[in-house]
Amino acid sequence: MFEKVLTRNFGLPRSESIGVYIANGGYQALPKALHECDPEQLIEMVTASGLRGRGGAGFPAGRKWGFMPKGSDIEKYVCVNTDEGEPGTFKDRELVEKDPHQIIEGVIIASYAVGAHRAFVYIRGEFFLGVKRWIKAIDGAYAKGFLGKNILGSGFSLDLSVHRGAGAYICGEETALIESLEGKRGEPRKKPPYPASVGLWGKPTLVHNVETLANIPHIINRGAEWYSSIGTPKSTGPKIFCISGHVRNRGIFELPLGVPLREIIYEHAGGMTFDKKLKAVIPGGASTPMLTPDQVDTPMAFETLEEAGTMLGTGAIVVMNEDTCMVDVARRLMRFFAHESCGRCTPCRTGTQRMLNILERLEAGQGKAEDIETLERTARKIQGLTFCPMGDAAINPVLSGLKLFRDEYEYHVTHKRCPV
Amino acid sequence: MAMVNLTINGQKVSAPPGSTVLQAAQLANIDIPTLCDHPALAPLGACRMCLVEIKGQRNLQPACTFPTTEGMDVQTESPRVVVARKFVLDLLFAERNHYCMYCEMTGDCELQALGYRYGLDHWVYPTYTKRFPVDATRLYFLMDHNRCILCRRCVRACSELVANHTLGVRQRGAESMIQADMNVPFGESTCISCGTCLQVCPTGALVDRRSAFMGRDIETEHTKSTCSHCSIGCGVEMVTRSGNVLRLEGDWDAPVNAGVLCQAGRFDPLYDERERVTKPLVRKKGELKETDWDTALQAVAKGMKGTKAQKLGVLASTYATNEALYLLRKLFSQELKVSNLGLLNKVAPVISDQGSLADIAESDIILVVGTNPVNDQPVASFFVKRAVDKGARLIVVDGKDNGLVPFAYMNLEMKEINRAVELAERAEHPMVLYGAGITKNAATALKKLGEKASFVALELGVNTRAAAALGLNNGFDASAAQALYILVGEQDLDGAPVLQKVGKDAFVVVQASFKSPLTERADVILPMAIWSERAGSLTNTEGRVQKANKAVEPKGEAKADWEILSLLAAKMGKKLGASLDDLSALAAEAIRPA
Ligand SMILES: Cc1cc2nc3c(=O)[nH]c(=O)nc-3n(C[C@H](O)[C@H](O)[C@H](O)COP(=O)(O)O)c2cc1C
Ligand code: SF4
Ligand code: SF4
Ligand code: FES
Repeated sequence: MFEKVLTRNFGLPRSESIGVYIANGGYQALPKALHECDPEQLIEMVTASGLRGRGGAGFPAGRKWGFMPKGSDIEKYVCVNTDEGEPGTFKDRELVEKDPHQIIEGVIIASYAVGAHRAFVYIRGEFFLGVKRWIKAIDGAYAKGFLGKNILGSGFSLDLSVHRGAGAYICGEETALIESLEGKRGEPRKKPPYPASVGLWGKPTLVHNVETLANIPHIINRGAEWYSSIGTPKSTGPKIFCISGHVRNRGIFELPLGVPLREIIYEHAGGMTFDKKLKAVIPGGASTPMLTPDQVDTPMAFETLEEAGTMLGTGAIVVMNEDTCMVDVARRLMRFFAHESCGRCTPCRTGTQRMLNILERLEAGQGKAEDIETLERTARKIQGLTFCPMGDAAINPVLSGLKLFRDEYEYHVTHKRCPV
Repeated sequence: MAMVNLTINGQKVSAPPGSTVLQAAQLANIDIPTLCDHPALAPLGACRMCLVEIKGQRNLQPACTFPTTEGMDVQTESPRVVVARKFVLDLLFAERNHYCMYCEMTGDCELQALGYRYGLDHWVYPTYTKRFPVDATRLYFLMDHNRCILCRRCVRACSELVANHTLGVRQRGAESMIQADMNVPFGESTCISCGTCLQVCPTGALVDRRSAFMGRDIETEHTKSTCSHCSIGCGVEMVTRSGNVLRLEGDWDAPVNAGVLCQAGRFDPLYDERERVTKPLVRKKGELKETDWDTALQAVAKGMKGTKAQKLGVLASTYATNEALYLLRKLFSQELKVSNLGLLNKVAPVISDQGSLADIAESDIILVVGTNPVNDQPVASFFVKRAVDKGARLIVVDGKDNGLVPFAYMNLEMKEINRAVELAERAEHPMVLYGAGITKNAATALKKLGEKASFVALELGVNTRAAAALGLNNGFDASAAQALYILVGEQDLDGAPVLQKVGKDAFVVVQASFKSPLTERADVILPMAIWSERAGSLTNTEGRVQKANKAVEPKGEAKADWEILSLLAAKMGKKLGASLDDLSALAAEAIRPA
């Protein structure tokens, strides 16, 4: 059985406390990184590990660190993305609530590697317990000298604090997160420039997902080679999968990347509830196109899912059985995206609203034949037109639904009701 | 500077490095449609109207934000681009109420123009799904949310140009709404009614109340001129139709203000309710009687000629044109040897000539001494607030109620001037803005800053600099005057300080546009044209001589300020320059510092 890495302490009582973390090997990577490695070596190590971002885009972490300008005279920042808003995703919350020090250790090492002396946690407003855990953990780390001035006598200093968001999905997008941290309306910025060159208050900024950072201490402790031996060559390391929907055991499972979807659904999640038939799977969060039962052997890795026409995203698997109405699925997801559009650019702001209107009509049995066409045309036109990736994310459920289950849409029009 | 070479629609174009695709296209006269973009504002990339096809880019890219690179190949009207633009228009037209025939802006709306350009002839998406509020709480213009396309030009104008930060967006997605402050009625907000947002709005969402439904742009004439309010001298455009000024707009090409105006420059002149003087009047048997110009001027000439030079007095308004002030000096002080000359309001002493308003943006510390630009020279206060936004430190040496105090890093009393000077000495680019409220001591203390600092006087009257340069500010004593020539012009004054001291028997001539206590006391009233009715030139506080133009005919028999003085001089047998151009040149020469 796979030896858990990121969630290894989750079962322990008071796993969130600094004592439990240290007693189980925590804060051992930190002195190693600070005393034995220079920043360049750390960047090389993380690059060699093959670690890719867990926030959705899967960008190689080492390369992102390398983009940060060198030199200690430049003010730089690190942001910890705890906004976790993608429907179906609930791994970051678990990491924060159950083992925050693992992340903090990662933050300190990452900050040291890129030369930042100030780091910010940006946490979704609704994570009430998460905020408390963050604050407590940061206090604990300060008390032990892991944060603050001259950490462990290394001469490196870092301050870390928590900023609560107001609950907008878009604030998880790194540039919107930065705007929001600056106290402005949370809306994405134009890229390029990327945050690594112009970020928070115009300074180079490294933004990472919580799970990405949680991997760092383990890479330092056990080496890049060990890390890259987990998973597939292009998708290394452990991954926390969130599984929800019509399976018996919903929840999080830490497994090596590349694990077949079938294994997750039928072994770890205990199979379909009431042994119903599988109809479709969203493999990586609301914005990733769906897979069908014949694709259930796809390995859950960045490259294999891309080949299958979808994405690993955040690793949030939503399983749907034969009783699921695919128009309703699209409607629910579209309601989310329309509601969460920041409102800046026309196609996302009003296009999602238009698609939602049509989906609502179809679902209510009031759709006309041309509605399906308009829906599809609208989605295709939004594609690639929006200011940030949100627009493309929003249309995926509809486009993949229409591709795989067009007959169901048509049934809604011809029979004025749902086929299931 | 190495230019960036690219191809747009097959045409070779070169643009300065750092240009966007839109800027490069504009240089080559290739028209890319825009909605959220505005030349005076930072590009936003929000509306997606300007999308273009760039070779090698998977997606269409917004021209307004996309940087040019060497060898780039751009198509601005390819079939793919046209489909995308039509889609954006389909969405925008259906988002709110864009039923053009009932909109004030029909014919002048940028959205509508693009609808025509891309052949929109039906609604793809159902419209009128929602009704939005109309906010009519502001005096001069209203906000109709139904016509708003959320391009945020207004928001950016309010923040970037006016630095007032009143406007913002609330909610998100389709619920987004433009709002003032934390969603209060616009009229109760921190809005200062400068109208900059009104001027940049591309649709009928922001509508000027006075000129609403008074005609399309094509039916109007635009006359560029210089604002006749304060000493900043902003460039304006008078929009007129059939002899009426409908509206004033900031001139985007003007060197001083680059398009922005304040309430006093944009709206107040059109809401002036003072009663005009339209005919020459001469007092007969204690009563003012209408007469003709000839008789009136004859009466003035007689009164002036019959008085000794020492007993003659002249008071001038700092709102008169260069030409009028020049003639006033020439006639009275040079020809008639009058030395009892003065101005109708207090002006600041000259501390230094070095400095311009543009320096405000470059400065790291700004001292505002004895002047309240928020009230008196609002556009200068915009410049100051912009600099503060960029990180400059503002020190207000004036009362606590000075309008800039809320933005200041420090508020000092006049007697603490040395502290301000010390701080400014340590800065790299100190800026001093001072006004008539400055004390002698403070002025002396500020001189210490010497070469390092930029100085600009903020004065009330638009032409104060010229009036002072012509020596008209010469310690006037009303009680010494037996005959008094007062050029009040358009200045809003009750004249009490003068009237109290003027002898009962003194012969008083008032050259004025409006009735006031001064005209009531006058023995002769010479009706004067106002800002929109006369041409001439004005010298702003930096010494910049700018043209003022005539857009409409003077009311009644009123004449331009300089014309009246020219006629009077002729009546008195002095020929002092003939055409306006000659006068302007002579005046400019006389004003120029030696
Ligand atoms: C609409 C949108 C929402 C996003 N939400 C999140 C989020 O909630 N949490 C997160 O970590 N990344 C989110 N991202 C991805 C971030 O922009 C960014 O890529 C990520 O934080 C980088 O961290 P990583 O390299 O560790 O993955 C979002 C991206 C988009 C476009
Ligand atoms: S009138 Fe001026 S201050 Fe008021 S909202 Fe418009 S731009 Fe801002
Ligand atoms: S009010 Fe006008 S300028 Fe402001 S967002 Fe709406 S359409 Fe644009
Ligand atoms: S004009 Fe370029 S996106 Fe609006």
